[in-house]
Amino acid sequence: MKNLIQFFIRYSIFFLFLLLETTAFLLIVHNTGYQRIVLLSSANSIAARMYQVSGSVIDFFKLKQANIKLNEENADLRNQIVELQNELGRIRNQQNDTTYIPAENDLQYIPAKIINNSTNKYKNYITINKGKRDGIMPGMGVIATDGVVGIVKTVSEKFAVIIPILNPEISINSKFKSNNYIGPVEWQGKDYRFANLMDIARHVHVNKGDSIITSGLTSVFPEGIPVGTVEEFSLGENDAYYNIQLRLAVNFRTLSYVRVIRNNNRPEWESLENTANDNPN
Amino acid sequence: MRIITENILRFLLLVIVQVLFLNNLQFTFCTPYIYILFILSLPVSCPRWLDLIAGFVLGLTIDMFSNTLGLHTFACVLIAYLRYFAIKLFVSEENRITNIPSFHSFGVMPYIKYVVLLTVIHHTALLALETMTFVNWWITLLRIVISSAVSIAIIIALQFLKRN
Repeated sequence: MKNLIQFFIRYSIFFLFLLLETTAFLLIVHNTGYQRIVLLSSANSIAARMYQVSGSVIDFFKLKQANIKLNEENADLRNQIVELQNELGRIRNQQNDTTYIPAENDLQYIPAKIINNSTNKYKNYITINKGKRDGIMPGMGVIATDGVVGIVKTVSEKFAVIIPILNPEISINSKFKSNNYIGPVEWQGKDYRFANLMDIARHVHVNKGDSIITSGLTSVFPEGIPVGTVEEFSLGENDAYYNIQLRLAVNFRTLSYVRVIRNNNRPEWESLENTANDNPN
Repeated sequence: MRIITENILRFLLLVIVQVLFLNNLQFTFCTPYIYILFILSLPVSCPRWLDLIAGFVLGLTIDMFSNTLGLHTFACVLIAYLRYFAIKLFVSEENRITNIPSFHSFGVMPYIKYVVLLTVIHHTALLALETMTFVNWWITLLRIVISSAVSIAIIIALQFLKRN
């Protein structure tokens, strides 16, 4: 017994070392259970406050670019108003047509500002200044004026952390705008401007500059949001699939405002799909 | 007492510089992690258990700000543990009595060796764990090499500034 105690005292430093390293390792491994770790991520309020302050300083230097962006967005919205007015006129004429069913308004956009962003890590994250009280929930899609940004991972009361495309943890279900062939877009951890489009079979015709958009086959993103354009592609003699490199639509380095997509039909959509999965008959 | 305040101030300063400035550097493949200077500059006489706890707290703080729960903690505790052996290995007996590691107390070459060894170990553990896969291992290797080189250069440069 005495020897045992002496043994522990003698190696106490080593045991402390092992204990701390095991704790750290368990934290890494359990990192995926996101609800529990809100306290220890940058969505917690001390860290988020600090980022908010530093974010406002950085914003000052980005004002010019932000102005240009806003102008573009303004123009875009005006165009949409014109289109909608035309559409409205057309629909008014159709009013007596009993077979016409109006589309349901199932999407809402929640605007948010980025307060922390990284593009040069292997796993990048974005923190925004909207959270649970603004209606944001884990799993919602996030877009910017130019295209897809990522998916919400963790939410606290006032803040949220997004996994952008620039993180191998997620892939975005996408398709060719021209011919509807579907494949996931994944990031390889190299350059923040490029990502890869996977699973495109060799019989598909691919051209440089083809637009890739979201497929609309998941409840996260509606159809038709730009993901990127084909920059380069190659097909080996024996490959079943193309090797396609995309230039991402969004420039993650200058990104400062995003919109979170709230799909009001999502619970119904997913519970229906889950029921179908559970009862294959 | 002065040494404790000095270390706490160094801790806060390094965390702020790391989190607000260095983590946002937009160079592909390169993020210097100079916050480990806190561990490297702990007094030689600091008890080893305190080394470990200090490393743990520092790592956890950085993790909180960079959404990488556990990664920095792991790497920091590792070098906090190995620091003792590094000092024993590189620094001669009579220089080990002086307290804060620096060019002045360790001598230039021993101090550089000490910084290089621990920085490389830290960056390797951190970036390898972050990737957790052997796919594209050469990219990880490139990250380790470039980031370590930049971190070491900054830490050594800071020492030169301090000496003048």
